[in-house]
Amino acid sequence: MNTILEHITTVLTEKFEVPADRITPRTMLKDLDLDSLALVELQVTLQEDWNIPLDESTVTPELTLGELAGVVTALAGPEQESGHA
Amino acid sequence: MRWNDSTATVVGIGSCLPDRVLDNDDVIARGSLDTSGTWIRSRTGIGRRRYVPPGVSTGDLAVAAGAAAMRSAGTAPDLVLLATTTPDHHCPATAPAVAHRLGLDGVPAFDLSAVCSGFVYGLVTATALVRAGACNTPLVIGAETYSAIIDPHDRETAPLFGDGAGAVVLRAGPPGAPGAVRAADLGSDGSGDQLIVIPDGGSRHPPLSCTGPADPYFRMRGRAVYAHAVRRMTDSARRVLQEAGWPASSVRAFIGHQANQRILDSVADRLGIDARHRYGNIGELGNTAAASIPLVLADDRVHASLEPGRRTLLTAFGGGLTWASAALTWPAAAPCHRPASPGTGSSPAHLLHDRSPS
Repeated sequence: MNTILEHITTVLTEKFEVPADRITPRTMLKDLDLDSLALVELQVTLQEDWNIPLDESTVTPELTLGELAGVVTALAGPEQESGHA
Repeated sequence: MRWNDSTATVVGIGSCLPDRVLDNDDVIARGSLDTSGTWIRSRTGIGRRRYVPPGVSTGDLAVAAGAAAMRSAGTAPDLVLLATTTPDHHCPATAPAVAHRLGLDGVPAFDLSAVCSGFVYGLVTATALVRAGACNTPLVIGAETYSAIIDPHDRETAPLFGDGAGAVVLRAGPPGAPGAVRAADLGSDGSGDQLIVIPDGGSRHPPLSCTGPADPYFRMRGRAVYAHAVRRMTDSARRVLQEAGWPASSVRAFIGHQANQRILDSVADRLGIDARHRYGNIGELGNTAAASIPLVLADDRVHASLEPGRRTLLTAFGGGLTWASAALTWPAAAPCHRPASPGTGSSPAHLLHDRSPS
């Protein structure tokens, strides 16, 4: 698991209290019992933590966590993949 | 902006709330909304809001709140600044009529349009005018009747907003006095001007030239606004705390614009302000736009739990996009409250003496 996916996992478990056993790269956001405002909160958190222009319309319920990690990686730059938030 | 030498202090506080209370079920029934009271409460923290009765306008609420603040201060203002999104008319401004009805004929009076940031914009503007010597005792009012511009069938906005007015009187004073405005931060980002908008009826789409169905109602893109509100208020609050030289841990009253409880919690969490130091009224009053922060300043329950001089952080975000924050100390003034009544002709003596603080 790359660093960005690990970070997303940490945010979901610690800030949104999602059980860790429900989180896989193939899990869709809509399967995590997060309402629409929680998805915006997740977007703002990732935007701040990685200092990236992550748009609110990008973080959709149908996005998988693996795809979300890919979007963040693309915006943050490949060198961030092994770095720290 | 940092004011360490002379500044303005809050010496009077007033409010006016309409008597009519609508709970979530009332709003749902009124607009035939496809939602539930539980859903509204969980997404927004709002359980009830106030609406004016027919015939009562923003100006009427502003007169009542202004009179209450004058009574609290025990003085007659020499300038009236009204922050509102919902003026009585597109033209003229509402503030001159409010000043007239308060018995303040001849004083400078103007409206300020910064939507939900309007009161803090007004507080900062009035403080700067006091420091510049342009006035001595400005009256700053935030008054709104969003019930007049909300589409009752719009699930995105109808449950959120309510009516009300709050006001403060300022006077020149030292930065160490209770109620002193110590620092401020104002900003805007017009690239987001369509996120919060009344689409038609202004000069961009004049009412008589709309080719399709005109939309005169207030519209908001909720998710985008949520993200901007969290980021802008957090950043602005951090800047104003830095200007004031106050660590966030020293703030004893965090009063954010009462837009959405989850936005307020998100901002306060980011700032590191403990839950016991957060004050608000969104559960009872909903989002009252420019009136939301002065209504918290006028809340007797808040005054009962805070000592004068405690560090207070105001932060707001609104259409424009605009944002505004102010660092002040908790005022010593006891708030006064007045009911609204339509019409004109009240004398200043009547307004200053007809009701005791409650």
